[in-house]
Amino acid sequence: MSQRIHVIGLSHKTAGVDIRERFALAGFNPVAAGLVQEHGPITEAVVLSTCNRVECIVVGEPGADVAHEVHQVWAQTCNQPVELLTRHTYCHTGAAAVTHVFSVAASLDSMVVGEPQILGQLKAAYRSAVEAHATRVILNRLLHKAFSTAKRVRTETAIASSAVSISYAAVELARKIFADLSRHSALLIGAGEMAELAATHLLAAGVRRMAVVNRTVSRAEELAKRFGGQAYGFDALNQALLEADIVITSTGSPSVILTASQMKEIMRNRRQRPIFFIDIAVPRDIDPDANAIDNVYVYDIDDLNGVVEENRASRQQEAIKAQAIIDEEVQAFLQWMDELRLQPTIVALLDQGERIARKELRKSIRQLGPDPDPQVVAIMERLAHSICHKIYHAPITYLKRRAQEEGSAERFVHQARRMFNLDGETPPEDAHDDRKRSR
Amino acid sequence: MPAWTWFELAIALAYLAGAALYPLGLGLRQPLCKKAASLASALGFLLHTADLAAAGLLQADVLQHGQFYISLFAWLCVLVFFVAWWRFKHDFLSLITAPLAVVLFTGSMVIHPATTIVPEHLSLLWFGLHVGAIFVALALLALAFGAGVGYVYLERKIKTKSKIPSALQEMPALDTLDRVNALAVSVGFPLYSISMLSGFIWAAFTWKRVLTGDPKEVVSLGIWVLYAILFHQRLALGWKGRKPAKMAIAIFLLSLGSLVLINFLLPTHHSLRAF
Repeated sequence: MSQRIHVIGLSHKTAGVDIRERFALAGFNPVAAGLVQEHGPITEAVVLSTCNRVECIVVGEPGADVAHEVHQVWAQTCNQPVELLTRHTYCHTGAAAVTHVFSVAASLDSMVVGEPQILGQLKAAYRSAVEAHATRVILNRLLHKAFSTAKRVRTETAIASSAVSISYAAVELARKIFADLSRHSALLIGAGEMAELAATHLLAAGVRRMAVVNRTVSRAEELAKRFGGQAYGFDALNQALLEADIVITSTGSPSVILTASQMKEIMRNRRQRPIFFIDIAVPRDIDPDANAIDNVYVYDIDDLNGVVEENRASRQQEAIKAQAIIDEEVQAFLQWMDELRLQPTIVALLDQGERIARKELRKSIRQLGPDPDPQVVAIMERLAHSICHKIYHAPITYLKRRAQEEGSAERFVHQARRMFNLDGETPPEDAHDDRKRSR
Repeated sequence: MPAWTWFELAIALAYLAGAALYPLGLGLRQPLCKKAASLASALGFLLHTADLAAAGLLQADVLQHGQFYISLFAWLCVLVFFVAWWRFKHDFLSLITAPLAVVLFTGSMVIHPATTIVPEHLSLLWFGLHVGAIFVALALLALAFGAGVGYVYLERKIKTKSKIPSALQEMPALDTLDRVNALAVSVGFPLYSISMLSGFIWAAFTWKRVLTGDPKEVVSLGIWVLYAILFHQRLALGWKGRKPAKMAIAIFLLSLGSLVLINFLLPTHHSLRAF
């Protein structure tokens, strides 16, 4: 039996926000909290705590009740009843745990599939664990592989290439039209939560300037101050439209504020510079016919919803491709784990061989007399060492191959350890004489 | 002895690898595949440069071979692509330039030597101004053609609010594609004009007439007028977007048609094949 990876956690799929906030483990130090101890059942731990999930990724000693241990420490840290915690947690072990970690890193398990934040959060959690000296060879490898798998998923599938919120969809469309947003300015006409959110995202995406037009000048000034831009009254709308390239409109006007024919005139004055309208208002602010004018792009709330819905559906499609990548990476990781299990046996085999070789070498050197030729001694040492390595080469290769082919390293390791008596078992009284002599 | 050498075959294969690997990389979303495509095109370009330099240095009558001109045109197309890549930070136009380089270069491999006669005292001037300028202008037009097709496609997708396929998500933005068109027009048209002017001067020297009624001359004048309209509308009226993109597509297709039909099939003193 050897060490195994376990994931014990709760997420938006198993627990409501009230439970998630009660069991949050922000800033948790697995070593300080006693989860990871020198000779305890848990040897390594990384704790991920975000608003949508809290997970303990741990490596446990063989035979230990790792889940129980984690639940106890977790509930105690949060000062909550352990029964409440166990009702909402899931536990994955071995291959399922590895698949889960890779899926979380690649954002397949997220509330919004493909969202990019989770990878950064997992990296931060890993960094904290490393700083707390709570990781060793297995989790180091697991987390690094999780990061590279997530990167593969992002580059080889389109899982994260499309926006799944209205305001991000608007920013993405603006990028498809203008490329570098830092060379373009935006204009917010009216106000409203969604329009202001879109404006904030545009500014975050690098838009050079955000001007504000509002019927109430004081409101325009207030918003302009927030966005660091210029405020205009409604009478200066045409002037503002000459300067802006991306326009978010969200007024409460019962009829359109800009007709297609007015837009044609504005385009002439703009010397045909493209303009993109994000019309969030209902009823709409911009005449939909303006979309037919060259270099004018008008997207209303339904158009943006349509984009978001299509993107959501395509992300689900891409998730299937991503799963295939994850399966491949999980297989490679499990193979590494199998090889890791072999490592102590390989070391013990070579060690045993070298010990026997050194013992026999000493006997032979004694037979060469009190003052043996150093050159002869060196040759004999090389010979003994080489024979030992060559003899053990075949069984070691055999073990490695069986571990790869059948994934049953444990069984072969067990047999090899018994065959070469690596664990120093005493033969029973009724054992064959040959076995007794071999000790 | 085959009409091509192993060296030329290596160039063609490198360009072919560049042309095939790029769309493959786009489709499979494999950045490594796209990188391999760029490396293959770059290798092809380096070998091609060496090939042209060797031809220029070793063959005294190089300017009288149609093969050399088509090969040079292919080389200029790839050069213009690399310049555009550096300028616009986007390798998407490889989709058009790499296949064009393959077609032009393999085309040049199978062309028999032409019978173009160039008097020695005028050859450099004629070559530099007339052929050099027109080939760079055409290479820029090829780039504008690729950008134009991309623009019309992407603009239609955005206007009709349809989904852009995931393989084409990395397409350059409309603004970038329009800037490629602007470059091709603002640099390409003056070059095209220089080429035309030097052609007329050349005609005046050789045939003592400015207009000789050669089919290439007539068609080129027509293309020049279209190019001039595009140049004027872009610079004076501020045309942007779909109209100049469509016009660049039309001008390039006309130029390509004129290159294939007139230079290879009709009797003209611009012939690139032996009659």
